[in-house]
Amino acid sequence: MSKQEFIPAEWTSTEKILFRFAFIFFIVLVVPFNAGFYKLLFSTNWLQSEYGDLFALVRYTPDFTGNPSHWLNVLIVVIIAAAGAALWTFTDKNTKEYARLYYWLRVLVRYRLAAALLVFAFIKYYPLQSPEPSVSNLNTAYGDFSAWKIFSLTLGVVPGYQSFLGLTELLAALLLLNRRTATLATLVIIPFTGNVFFSNLAYEGGEGYYSFYLLLLAGFLLLFDVKRLYSLIAQEQPTFPNRFNPVFSDTWKKNSRYALKGLFIGVFVIWYGAKAHAAYSNDPYQYPKFPGLESSAGLYNVREFRLNHQELPYSAVDPVRWQDVVFEKWNTISIRSNRPVIIDSANTEHIHSEDKYRNYELLGSAGRHYYSYETNPEKGELTLSNRNHHYAGETLALSYTRPDSSTFILQGLNENRDSIYVVLEKIEKKYLFEEVRKTGRRGALKL
Amino acid sequence: MSEINLNPAKEVIPESVQKPRASSGHQQDWKPWQLFLFRIAFVFFILMSVPNNPEWYKNAFSIDWTNLHYRDPYDIARFGSGLDWFGNRIFGSPLQGYAVWIITLLFSVAAGLLWTLGEKLAKKKVHNYDKLNYWLRTIVRYRAGIGIIGFGFTKLLPTQMPYPSLGLLNTDFGDFTLQKIYWLSIGIVPWYQVFAGVVEITAGVFLFFRQTTTLGAVLLFGALGDIVYVNFAYDGGVHVYSSYFVLLSAFLLVQDTPRVFNLIVREKFTLPAHYYYPVFDQTWQKIARYGIKTTIIGVFLILFFYLSLVNLLYDPYKQPAVKGVSELRGNYNVTSFSINGQELSYSPLDTVRWKWATFENWSTLTFKVNKPTNLDLSNGGGSPMRDIERTFELTGTGGGQRVFYYQADTVNQVLYLQDKFKERGGRNFAARDGAEFQHKPADNTTGNNLKSNEPDPNWIPEEALSNIGDETYKIDPRASSTRRIREYADAPVNEKRNRMILNYQSSDNGARVILTGIDENKDSLHVVLDRVHKSYTLSESSIQAGKYD
Repeated sequence: MSKQEFIPAEWTSTEKILFRFAFIFFIVLVVPFNAGFYKLLFSTNWLQSEYGDLFALVRYTPDFTGNPSHWLNVLIVVIIAAAGAALWTFTDKNTKEYARLYYWLRVLVRYRLAAALLVFAFIKYYPLQSPEPSVSNLNTAYGDFSAWKIFSLTLGVVPGYQSFLGLTELLAALLLLNRRTATLATLVIIPFTGNVFFSNLAYEGGEGYYSFYLLLLAGFLLLFDVKRLYSLIAQEQPTFPNRFNPVFSDTWKKNSRYALKGLFIGVFVIWYGAKAHAAYSNDPYQYPKFPGLESSAGLYNVREFRLNHQELPYSAVDPVRWQDVVFEKWNTISIRSNRPVIIDSANTEHIHSEDKYRNYELLGSAGRHYYSYETNPEKGELTLSNRNHHYAGETLALSYTRPDSSTFILQGLNENRDSIYVVLEKIEKKYLFEEVRKTGRRGALKL
Repeated sequence: MSEINLNPAKEVIPESVQKPRASSGHQQDWKPWQLFLFRIAFVFFILMSVPNNPEWYKNAFSIDWTNLHYRDPYDIARFGSGLDWFGNRIFGSPLQGYAVWIITLLFSVAAGLLWTLGEKLAKKKVHNYDKLNYWLRTIVRYRAGIGIIGFGFTKLLPTQMPYPSLGLLNTDFGDFTLQKIYWLSIGIVPWYQVFAGVVEITAGVFLFFRQTTTLGAVLLFGALGDIVYVNFAYDGGVHVYSSYFVLLSAFLLVQDTPRVFNLIVREKFTLPAHYYYPVFDQTWQKIARYGIKTTIIGVFLILFFYLSLVNLLYDPYKQPAVKGVSELRGNYNVTSFSINGQELSYSPLDTVRWKWATFENWSTLTFKVNKPTNLDLSNGGGSPMRDIERTFELTGTGGGQRVFYYQADTVNQVLYLQDKFKERGGRNFAARDGAEFQHKPADNTTGNNLKSNEPDPNWIPEEALSNIGDETYKIDPRASSTRRIREYADAPVNEKRNRMILNYQSSDNGARVILTGIDENKDSLHVVLDRVHKSYTLSESSIQAGKYD
């Protein structure tokens, strides 16, 4: 780095006006001003916090409408920036260029973008965001899922690929932390996040706005070098590089620079990465943690079903009779029947530490009703509570016996207070993609 | 806003670059290692850019240009390459299909050594290969561009990954292969598939022009790099061919990458690549250049687009094209099921009784039985013309689902059904790239055995056949093609497949359908189906492929 600061040429008035607009626009986008952000910041005990707290904090986008993902917010920021730029242009007639201010704006945007990418990168690198499908998910018809859920399940079956995506995002974020590699970073981020953006539109996901927000930041960073790249590569002309480098002459400036950079890396890479790794090893966040009944996990056929002491035969269309039941490894039971499901269609990413909020298994999914359960093994009690918020308060008060290791007998009252008696028999279900993993696709397979 | 700190007027341009750039004639010496590496690269990339399979040439010359199918230009654009005269295995292993690349590279190194030696002996002083490099890059640019455009059109007009049929929608997530899971996940979002097609075609078009080559190569490298990973992760089977584009685009990026690094990361004054551009001053040269370029763009962009559009609208190549019987459509509950006069009540564990049936928009009946069945684990790709061979609705899918193709005699209300599953060998059976090993044709020694239990060639009576009509011409005439006519004419007769003959009686426009007749084991069936209006969570396809009204 040269000791002497490069003296930039005077900017044209168009450049100055555009810059004033961009400056206000990106400051409003990036610097948190909503009270909610600070509430979250100060109400969290950061000494005992979890990675989910940081994740929630980093998701900040400016909110003028009461819905931080509303597209109107961007429009409002545009109006503010336009008005601000007009006022600024009117009052400031003397400034010749904004090279220094531009540099610092880029710093802010770079770090904002890096933080956003890092918190997502680690939950992909350690494949937490889209976990492997639950047994219930594997036993749900394809058409009973929303497109967004299918997207996530499809990523969930290949953890290695998810890690690869996380690694790409991670490397791009790290490249943003240096001025001279920031442009290379945007060449990765724009296709990557652009793909996320289009995926959200296509799969009816909830992160379309947020990925667009990140694309704005990345696009702004790329603009810095775009003319130079065009000149060198498309026009094939000799090209000068950027000449403006900040000079940190005082020791305290140098030290605070390294301290801030170190702090950022310490928090977003080392601390957050370690926490995500720990979660991946001990407590992946999408599924509940509380264990289910011992050696109960699996798929069960409903061999017998009595409603108010009357036997109902097997049926594919009966809305009352159960078709099959899944016990998960955690304390969830899901029941497939022809009773319609109003789906819970939440489709944005949140990291919850409490089981009752960890509802990934039922999001965007019909075909089955999902219940969390509490047991009292001594009395043989089993109380089911519907996990879907559309069925809040729906409970089944049952008792259970296990005459042998593969059979459950449940009896008690169902959600309508009708008495039921149900015999469940475990099925040794084989899943095609797991069988093919063993035998490969080249041979013949009968299943 | 963008150019705040650069004022070229004030910068001193180094003396050496102030000279006008020569388009040719200006000599720049390459270093000996550059010359040597180039010789290897030249042989390697030429071999990698030409089709290595005689079939390709045979096919290319048999195309009827007066009556095209989308698959005709596709087959020209898609070919394998590399040197396979010495086989395609190294130490007995195809190395997942990459062995041919390595063999080609070894050959190219040997050729490069000989070339170097030859020039030494001839005492010829070579300064550089600017000219040769230009032509090599041109060949690679067009090879990569045409190839990726071939792929791109099946996405731009989304037919590569069809929207799932009813039978697939009714299949549990755990009953698919990984390959199927991925393909379906794209099939459910046709507009996303269009977007992917736009990316691929844009990359391809950029490669046709010098100024946009690097940008096109970057796009291609990124997009196909991801697809390579996807193919490994989901066992998609197209890893070699997708890597091929990564390789070609990487080659095209060799020249500009160090320069971009120098300019952006090192922040140094940077000269552009010293490209040689040929001067076309003879009239014939100009005509040849623009003629070739126009032909390529005309065939691979405009004509290809039209053919792909026709394919999407009338003959989406992965799903059957001919419409099924109008009243037999939708999801059906199997209300009653009798076999040889004995009624079986429904149980999900029953190994004989059907559980659920669908009639697709086209000539397919599916039903589920709780009994292990042979599975077709291929991608269901290729582009078979005949509906019975379009197998995307069953490949990579388990869950006890049986899929039958039917021919309907609508006068006598009889369905002649054949199992869409067929024992296959070699390339068809396995995934595409991995199967590039030699496959022996089916053993003929069992021919005598076959004869005794050969299927009845006259299982469909004459009268029924004439009522059924010729499938060749049952699609929209706009989608007719010589390829289709030829393939139907060459179709195997009296194939060995499971067969059923079922009379159908439908009432209330197909709300209830009664099927009676004999199944594949010659047992007599009596099945009552009641249509169930099933509303799926998954949104309906936003782009309708095919025409089935």
